[in-house]
Amino acid sequence: MDALENKRILLLTGKGGVGRSIVTAALAHIAQRRGRRVLVAELGDDPEDYSPLARYFGRDRLPVQPEELAPGIRGVVLLARTGQDLFLRQVLRSSTLARAALGSDAIRRLLSAGPSFREMGIFFQLLALLRLTHADGGHEHEVVIVDMPATGHALSLTGLPDLLLRLVPGGPIADALREGKGYLNDPEQSAAWVVTLPETLPVSECLELLGGLRRTEMPIGGVFLNRFPVDAYTPEERAALAPVLAEHDVLGAETFHRPGLAHRETTRLRASTDATIYVLPEVPHAHVVAALTDATENAWRLSPQAPHATRRDGAP
Amino acid sequence: MSPPNSPPKTPAVPRISEILRTHQVIVCCGAGGVGKTTTAAALSLAAARAGRRVLVLTIDPSKRLAETLGVERNPPEPVALPADRARVAGIAAPGGLDAWMLDHKLVADASVRRLTKSPEEAEKVLDNRIYKHVSTMVAGMHEYTAMEALYRLVNEGRYDLVVLDTPPSRHALDFLEAPKRLSRLVDSRAIAAFLPSSDGFVARAASKVIHTVMSAVFGEEFAGEFTMFLSTFSALFQVLNVEVNTMRDFLSGPNVAFLLVTSPAPTTLTEAHYFQDKTRELSLPFRGFVLNRSRALNGRKAMPDSSLGGASPSPALQSAIAKLQAAAAVELELAGRDLALLRDLEVRAGDGATAIALPDLPTGADDMTTLMAVADVLDAS
Repeated sequence: MDALENKRILLLTGKGGVGRSIVTAALAHIAQRRGRRVLVAELGDDPEDYSPLARYFGRDRLPVQPEELAPGIRGVVLLARTGQDLFLRQVLRSSTLARAALGSDAIRRLLSAGPSFREMGIFFQLLALLRLTHADGGHEHEVVIVDMPATGHALSLTGLPDLLLRLVPGGPIADALREGKGYLNDPEQSAAWVVTLPETLPVSECLELLGGLRRTEMPIGGVFLNRFPVDAYTPEERAALAPVLAEHDVLGAETFHRPGLAHRETTRLRASTDATIYVLPEVPHAHVVAALTDATENAWRLSPQAPHATRRDGAP
Repeated sequence: MSPPNSPPKTPAVPRISEILRTHQVIVCCGAGGVGKTTTAAALSLAAARAGRRVLVLTIDPSKRLAETLGVERNPPEPVALPADRARVAGIAAPGGLDAWMLDHKLVADASVRRLTKSPEEAEKVLDNRIYKHVSTMVAGMHEYTAMEALYRLVNEGRYDLVVLDTPPSRHALDFLEAPKRLSRLVDSRAIAAFLPSSDGFVARAASKVIHTVMSAVFGEEFAGEFTMFLSTFSALFQVLNVEVNTMRDFLSGPNVAFLLVTSPAPTTLTEAHYFQDKTRELSLPFRGFVLNRSRALNGRKAMPDSSLGGASPSPALQSAIAKLQAAAAVELELAGRDLALLRDLEVRAGDGATAIALPDLPTGADDMTTLMAVADVLDAS
């Protein structure tokens, strides 16, 4: 199992605040270290939007056309409009007609609010980026790692081909959708990963999301269980302190209780899914990308083929 | 409709406890994953305990929260909080708490029936192949149906307060923006361009370009079907457009409060700033920030001192307390950081709005006991 060495599309999804962008950045570094040409992408509504992913590459936002963010790593923000323009130019062939179409207020309105056109634009831009060929004959972007914002967006993108093909079975849109579906639903080429935290609500949401991804026939790469707390206490210390903390609500108690909760939630997650789980430790703020890159690489090594290769107790 | 207890006062920083006692509508906005749904549920609970008849309109609750509220089977109508739970929560008549999980298709179908002239016309629309997919596909449709359901339920007068949990999205602003996008789409002039028989040379030329583009992109068959869809819907869209405007006016009223639910993140202040500007621009009554998942209040807890171990602590307890103290120092620092953020939000909120913090609850807040605890915090805010 090594998604970073052979797959072309990795989709990272998960609710806000779970560290999805930083895991995306860490995966990009690992893939780059393995000699692949990497593109990181995120879905945007507006090119001026603040980008949490860009922050991990020292920028405020990602460019609208792929640009190098770090050696061997390019980045781009996928915008509905970029993809829609690309698509219209390609389908209409005549540039005069394309210009007229793009200049039409009615078409603009339709594209900004019409049925699934936003996802369609993003889908098409992603497809165009996957198709690009490099001077050496290989792919320009050997692996595209997409940071998917809200979970709903992930499902509307992976479920898009089936939804629209029922409605529009023929024509250029259908062709593009089939080509995209060919990439997305092929376990050799793509995988979706859920990033979550070892806490109650995030684990429940992760399980719901895995179910949703399966329904859209998206191959599942696994789950990154991020920010797993490091337990500073020995079993003896725990046994001695627990009764004291039951009596006193003091600062520090939360940190004491977190590892127990994390283990319980990890157990529940393992019991409810057969997806591979990669445990990533909580790392301090400074040098967070470098630290998490190493940690992710370690989690990866610890799980060669087996689905539950992280240590039984869930410790990193 | 029962009259609101007293007309909401403007200026002077409003308190959440006051808002939930006086307003008719509270709209909880926020990006996905900040705990908007649980905040909406806790606000409703607090208002119901204060004796009001409350409905919480949720969009996408976690399974456990849906179970807690008794809406896990997605009922077609609002349902009352199960009696045992209402008793535990301390809700007593006249107060009451109903919950409803918004089903967009159901609301959209009901609107079609209401807005069409005859049952036959309604069936024609409901049977349209594009319509069947449209309620999940059109950007802004979820926001529209949420608004529509809210408007209807408030006007029915069964509730003193309706708390709306807005659809999940990346941006807190999406809820405010979506109806505008929808009404831009359903604007009759925009639709006319897609229909075959427009008057005038310019319109014909524009319509020809559009037809060519549509056929090239979708293929002849679907393009034709799409034109059919638009002509079936054009009358409906015009009514819809008027409704969107009516609802916007309604949401600008003094009995409505918009709250931004957010959580500590590097972007929190920027988001808060945008939200406040946008609500002002749209003349929507912005009333406060709820900083959820925050450790701002933890600083009030005591620091663990060495006496915790009693007179003669075991070596294990001694070393455990030393570790506890180290962790406490870190937690205190985090609390300080979140508190500073809360203070910034208070300044940002200004006179007409408030800023409050809700605690970080790693086990979630979707069971009754935790929801009640959150409701207590809200009622004291």
